[in-house]
Amino acid sequence: MTREHEPSALADADDRTLAGRAADGDTAAFAIIVRRYTPMMRAYARKILPGGADVDDVVQEAFITAWQKLPSLDDPARVKSWLMRITSRKAVDRIRARRESDDIDAVDPAAPEVATPARVAEARSSLEALRAALAELPEDQRQCWTLREIGGYTYEEIAEQLDLPVSTVRGMLARARKTLIVRMEQWR
Amino acid sequence: MTDERDALRREGIGLEPEDLDGQSMERLSEYLDAGRTPPDPAIDNSPGCQIALDALERLRGLTPRLFADDVAAEPAVDEGWMAGLMGLIALDARAGRRIPISSEFGDLGITEGAVRGEIRAAEAAVPGALIGRTRLHGDVTVPGASVRVALDVSAPYGVPIDDTVGRLRAEVWRRLRDHTELTIEGIDITVHDIHLLPSPEEER
Repeated sequence: MTREHEPSALADADDRTLAGRAADGDTAAFAIIVRRYTPMMRAYARKILPGGADVDDVVQEAFITAWQKLPSLDDPARVKSWLMRITSRKAVDRIRARRESDDIDAVDPAAPEVATPARVAEARSSLEALRAALAELPEDQRQCWTLREIGGYTYEEIAEQLDLPVSTVRGMLARARKTLIVRMEQWR
Repeated sequence: MTDERDALRREGIGLEPEDLDGQSMERLSEYLDAGRTPPDPAIDNSPGCQIALDALERLRGLTPRLFADDVAAEPAVDEGWMAGLMGLIALDARAGRRIPISSEFGDLGITEGAVRGEIRAAEAAVPGALIGRTRLHGDVTVPGASVRVALDVSAPYGVPIDDTVGRLRAEVWRRLRDHTELTIEGIDITVHDIHLLPSPEEER
């Protein structure tokens, strides 16, 4: 594979330039997108996946899909939010696939490490309080909340993603918010 | 939950319908998500609802900071992971259409992907210019068919845009003439961004 470009010349290029080049097959431009958005996608996937498992695989799958679908992305300037969408879809698919294989194998899934009493105890700032409270939420509530508040999904989109009735999503979001407020106000 | 509820009530925050003049947290959450529109006097005139909405808003205000913090806490990209990913990506070269070239040796051609690479390489002759997406409009698979080229460009700050565009157009033209048999009808250049050139000491 020939490098068309010294990475330094492109490293600070805007998203539209990079995504446009990647759509045309420029792997060096794609590599810069990968470096730019991997931390964001990892942090996002980590909040959706139980216990943050499989983050590496999910983000890799998301980038492979992105590479395949880039030529059909209408507005390459919006590659960042597009990558967020792909990430959450891959994370939710992963959860679903694991749930199904667990059913077949009747194996106990590893207990997600959500409760972090040590962190709760040392929570000082409101930010840490929120982080600790989120970690304590039930998985489904945290997923709903993450898709809504970080992913910017509508209620209907969350329902579709998680294969749940909209009314259930509405209820879970309200419960999640209530719990988070209760926790945070206790630390105020 | 009862203890928590009592603790909150002592702080003046109640989240149950009896604290919210009959409204539910579901309703208040949705009201906030809808930007408090259309205005609902039953909520807007209820002190209990206002307190709960303020708490919901505080929560919402913290979320972008929390996520920014999470992103910053992620480790640097693992090089082994990166190499694995790029290896998989490289298997899927975007060749595009096949563009014929006449030859005494028979049927030859180059790929559209290679022509795009050739077009992008024109930026080397125009310091600071960065070419984004390129398009070849027209039936490039037919020898001699006329083709329009469209380029998306980010231009360097401090250089007249007309200069950048003119030099790029001439260079793309020259390269396509030298390396393909396409009949170029025109080269349309869209400048979508202006970027600062890195100062020499910043260059890595």
